[in-house]
Amino acid sequence: MDAGVLLQVGLAGLSAGAVLGLVALGFTLVAGTVRVLHLAHGDLVVAAVFAGVLGVLGRTPVASLLGPESSVAFVLLVLAAGAVLSGLVALLAIRPNLPDVATGRPADALGWVAGGVAAGLLTRAVLGLLFPRQGYAVPDPLRLSSLTSDGLVHLPGGSTLPARVVGVLVLGLMVGVAVELLLVRSRFGRSLRAVADDPDAAALCGINAGRVVLLAFVAAGLLAGLAGLLDAPGRTVGVDDGVVLGLEGIAAALLGGLGSLRGAVAGGLAVGLLQAVAVYAGGASLQDVAPLSLLVVLLALRPQGVRR
Amino acid sequence: MTAVDVAQALWLLVAALGLALSVSYAGLPVLGAGAFVAVGGFGTALLGPGGQGWPIGIACGTSVLVAATVGYLVALGASRLEGAYLALATWALAWLVQRTLLAYPGAFGGADGVTLPSPAHLLSPVLGLDLVLTPTVHVVLAGLVVVTVLLALVRLDRGPGGLDLAALREGPALAASLGVPVASRRRVVLSCTAGLCALSGAGSTVLLGLVSPSDVSPVVSLELFVAVLLGGTARWWGPPFGVAVLTGLPYVSDALARSAGVDAERSRSVLTAALLVAVLVLRGPVGRALARKGPPPQAPLAGPEPRAVTRRPVLLRASGLSVGYAGVRALDDVGIVLRGGEVHALIGPNGSGKSTLLMALAGELGSDVLQEGEVEVAGVRHDARRVQDRVRAGVVRTPQQTVVMPRLAADRQVAVGARGGSRPSYAVLRHLLGTPASRHRAQEVVVQRALEDVGLGHVVGADPQRLTAGDQRLLQVARAVATGASVLLLDEPAAGMTADERVRLRTVLRRLAGNGAAVLLVEHDMRLVGEVADRVTVLDVGRVLTTGPTAEVRANSAVHRAYLGSGRLAPEVTA
Repeated sequence: MDAGVLLQVGLAGLSAGAVLGLVALGFTLVAGTVRVLHLAHGDLVVAAVFAGVLGVLGRTPVASLLGPESSVAFVLLVLAAGAVLSGLVALLAIRPNLPDVATGRPADALGWVAGGVAAGLLTRAVLGLLFPRQGYAVPDPLRLSSLTSDGLVHLPGGSTLPARVVGVLVLGLMVGVAVELLLVRSRFGRSLRAVADDPDAAALCGINAGRVVLLAFVAAGLLAGLAGLLDAPGRTVGVDDGVVLGLEGIAAALLGGLGSLRGAVAGGLAVGLLQAVAVYAGGASLQDVAPLSLLVVLLALRPQGVRR
Repeated sequence: MTAVDVAQALWLLVAALGLALSVSYAGLPVLGAGAFVAVGGFGTALLGPGGQGWPIGIACGTSVLVAATVGYLVALGASRLEGAYLALATWALAWLVQRTLLAYPGAFGGADGVTLPSPAHLLSPVLGLDLVLTPTVHVVLAGLVVVTVLLALVRLDRGPGGLDLAALREGPALAASLGVPVASRRRVVLSCTAGLCALSGAGSTVLLGLVSPSDVSPVVSLELFVAVLLGGTARWWGPPFGVAVLTGLPYVSDALARSAGVDAERSRSVLTAALLVAVLVLRGPVGRALARKGPPPQAPLAGPEPRAVTRRPVLLRASGLSVGYAGVRALDDVGIVLRGGEVHALIGPNGSGKSTLLMALAGELGSDVLQEGEVEVAGVRHDARRVQDRVRAGVVRTPQQTVVMPRLAADRQVAVGARGGSRPSYAVLRHLLGTPASRHRAQEVVVQRALEDVGLGHVVGADPQRLTAGDQRLLQVARAVATGASVLLLDEPAAGMTADERVRLRTVLRRLAGNGAAVLLVEHDMRLVGEVADRVTVLDVGRVLTTGPTAEVRANSAVHRAYLGSGRLAPEVTA
């Protein structure tokens, strides 16, 4: 294979992987704090984007350039929608099924699994009623395409990449690393880990465990919004795309050793790369099939995460 | 309703019954039934008249076997963890299958799917059979399968298999500690579910002469899941009821879609999600309303006299046991000898390693825990650390916390122990096929005897959650006794007991020892230890401080210091 093409395929894969890393980060944040697999997480990524579209462009969007005010409004709306929706899922679908020390109620895994799946299905169905077409082009509020004058990045070896792709890779990685640092250093990060370790003991130390759990979901929702902002403008987005995106994020999180934030980012890059290489070698049919197969195999062989 | 509609509903019921085996009988959240239906449907179509041209019977049988294997493999890793991972694995499989079907239109016909000639012929040159599979024949065939599966489910639930399923559903961790092979049972159950779902897929594909990706989509998987949940836990009428609701679903969603002017597919998704939420919310109250009320427990009766045992053979010998968790040395070169007919108390301050020692003896420390030393049970060395092997060798531990399988009557809980301890080969199959149930009756005797041994003969059919905390602790001991164990490792059985209950526990422990068992008792109440124990071993920071007959140890000044905490122990005293 030509070195230039290799670089092109690799960078494009890593760029998609940086987005998956953000999805995986949100999933890991929740799984690490409350031991819940957030099965609606991927749907929230897509839902957040469509909430922004609905607010700024209405029900028939065109991928026009947004003005500065609209861009800011779009970004804020997407992030807020991600956070609010994730918080709602936590309150309505997950929390009623978590163990409760006060009443002695045990955890109900069937309840939160089905609750998460129902939340995702409902999200897709409602979005589908509002946006009935197969796919929609979404404008880029961050204008990553205009990073260079011709919208392309010239790689050594003569091949080119859209500037967006490089921008997404850099931004996605920066956000991933920043979030990881923030969660390791900050007070919120410490309380997250305390609750993850032992919710009862954390509660005895004066941490409001219920609120920390809710905040973990909200933070995951913000990350979902961010992932949507980076991912959606590069392609046409359909309302059903979220599930598979979420499952790819879960594959990344498992690959990174479920529970490790750094691992989630690295796992995202790995899954993105795998997907790009698979599509290059085996055709576009493998776009979803390759990462989903990886997830099924991972769950059959190392369900507790690869690095443990 | 035409014959086609009836046949289609019956084939759907086959899938629902298969899924019910996993979901409502074994408590496994399987979200990917559609994937297995797809393997059956597409497999039969592509291997059979829609592709390779194999005879339908062979194509169908092969697809069912393939689906069962896929089910087994999917559960391979996830069956070792809590149920949520199985939900994730099957959900991922549902989407993988859906996306694969759509990604390769050349092989699977894209969104239109695969067609095959209809009505199909069931040919058998050997039997000289040529059966035209008209819708009426389908009704008969599917009806026969449904009746067979229903009868099997009902019979299964009444026999040893039902006990296994109840244990998987109500308390997998506890069942594992009593020797029930939880992970492999789960794999077998999922494999059966997958096979039945595939059979259903094959049946409706041949019936309609068509299978398309939308017939086996993840939404269909969820609908089947909802249908099964509608019927609640382990009730044979659940799946038929659920399928009746499912059959009505398209009519309702089409009507809704027409009146609201929206896409029918979307309106069906909304309805499915709403049903799922409704079922989840109503599950608790409906389950409680349907719960069978057992008779209230009466006053305790005096238990049987102990069988007279005079010999005191060594039943368990451990030496040089060292255990380290992530940098912490929990046990350091610990040895212990347990004799039949004796109650051996294990005492020591909190964190001294008592529970770790019990888990090491019961083979419950996973391979990720560093462990050295030897464990001999009745003179045979046990190097492998598998709970099941230890239980069968006769070593059982009861956990420190009270664990009750919430919806299982007291005697059924004890029967789980009896089943874990002695595992007659192919008991489930033999019961299903109706060979004499003599073993089953023998098991009832074991259960009754175990309950009487712990003084709970009066609570047989009682709801365990209505027992007192002390009786729940005793029930825990009864489950362990029922495994037939000769070595009982009891972690603080007196925790949460009233003074009266402690007196009863004392009698129970003496009776168990009198029956020939070696009892290792972790206990903080020195009065109880003094009254009941023949020997005492004292642990301190992971080492054996002293061991010997109760009176000697009670007089040991080092023990007093360890308990009262007057300074660290001098090394010469530990020697």
